Amino acid sequence: MGYVAVKGGTNAIEASIQRLKYERLKGKEVIEVETILKTMRQLVDQVMSEASLYSPYLAALAIKQAEGSMEEAVFLLRAHRSTLPRLYYSQTVNTEAMFVERRISASFKDIPGGQILGATHDYTHRLLDFDLAAETKADIEKWTNQWMEEIKEIESHGELKHFPKVVDYLREEGLFPTYPLNNENPDDVTKKSLAFPASRSERLQILTRGQTGAVTSLGYASLRGYGQVHPNVGEVRVGDVPIYVASSNENTEAKDDEYYIGDVKLTEVESFVPVTTKNERNEMELNFEIGYGICYGQNETKAIAMSILDQCLENQDNPFSTHDEEFVLYHIDSVESTGFISHLKLPHYVTFQSKLDSVRNVKKGRAEDEKA
Amino acid sequence: MNRRRRTEILIQGKPSLAQKLADEIKEKYLCQEVSAPKYGLTMMKVRETAKNSLFYIGEVLVTEAKVAIKQEIGVGIVIGMKDELATHLAIIDAAYNAELPETANWEAPLLAEEQAIREEKIHKQAQILRTKVQFETMEV
Repeated sequence: MGYVAVKGGTNAIEASIQRLKYERLKGKEVIEVETILKTMRQLVDQVMSEASLYSPYLAALAIKQAEGSMEEAVFLLRAHRSTLPRLYYSQTVNTEAMFVERRISASFKDIPGGQILGATHDYTHRLLDFDLAAETKADIEKWTNQWMEEIKEIESHGELKHFPKVVDYLREEGLFPTYPLNNENPDDVTKKSLAFPASRSERLQILTRGQTGAVTSLGYASLRGYGQVHPNVGEVRVGDVPIYVASSNENTEAKDDEYYIGDVKLTEVESFVPVTTKNERNEMELNFEIGYGICYGQNETKAIAMSILDQCLENQDNPFSTHDEEFVLYHIDSVESTGFISHLKLPHYVTFQSKLDSVRNVKKGRAEDEKA
Repeated sequence: MNRRRRTEILIQGKPSLAQKLADEIKEKYLCQEVSAPKYGLTMMKVRETAKNSLFYIGEVLVTEAKVAIKQEIGVGIVIGMKDELATHLAIIDAAYNAELPETANWEAPLLAEEQAIREEKIHKQAQILRTKVQFETMEV
């Protein structure tokens, strides 16, 4: 289908942009970027994840500029990302090095190291807290001071605790398959357009930057029967992971010489999916496979849904759309899907006139036939 | 002290330490700015734990600065928009690369800061461990 450009409207467009600014400012209240950064933690996380750019400050700025529209904020951040040079590739990030702030398993109540609830909405009453409407800076000071006094009393000694992965423990027992380290360089969907069949690295990259709602909906569809993956969550962990880059930007693994550049917060999920496979005696037996999910910040629903879709796409010989990589990977990106849907509201006068002419001609022809 | 360890201390520790060490060098040596602090991206490569393969999770915004001392170039890289810290890191890196005698005296303050960071992390972990839960399954 061909497109025909339109021209004109400069003054109206300028006035529209002024109107948009007025809508943002008419309440005469300033929201500081710092305020968004400090109070909208999970919104900031979601924008960074869908934009595939980890920068809490820029995500907060994008949220301010977009007046809270997720799709617009993600678009702004993606656009900004395209103006920046890629200076480095990190050394392989090892999520086992995570400073764990939350770690739970839905499969085992006793896991080595224990389950840590951390900060979660999971056990809160979903009732609106009207006290927040009148919350003051003094209230916040009072509460945080009290909290600081309380935690000062907590005894801390010894060494930092390391939390082993639940899946490693099960692999040691021989309950899960083990895979050798695969050091093949990943593909990068930001450098090369996606072609099918997609590699595992491309699938994971697209899933992790997918729109939270889209990833969640497709994962949910699989659970409801439009797919054949219904996992148990083996482990969800949230925490900070250290990032290193090699010196001289050479791909050296000399650890002593590398630069530590800071931490990023991640949510990581391993889901256990029961599968029936044939053993060496050609008998059917029950086994487990692992679905993998990970994303920036704390966004557990997305990471769990990603783990479901990862496993769906590992088993594509299945008639459901959630197992079809073209269906899943082409429809979960925020900028692509919202961009394509919203382009429908832009001028399509010539294409529509052409369709209208066709309908008029058909109706006219039918009317003449009836007369004859 | 190797670069990995010292950059961990200088970035996780108080920014005043990096400033103090960099100031000490700036007072005595000519520090030529090779590249002013600039923003760029680092693509992060992750090993997933289902099949042990590698993939790119996405990019992180970093600040990078480069400084030369006695023809030895130092690089400062840090996550976020932190122009001053990146410059201080670059000066310290150049000082180590040029094997300046001052660096020999930095071991003690770096180790002290490392200990403070460790204690802070242990205390933070102790706070988090207050949310450790023991679920019991109910008899049906």
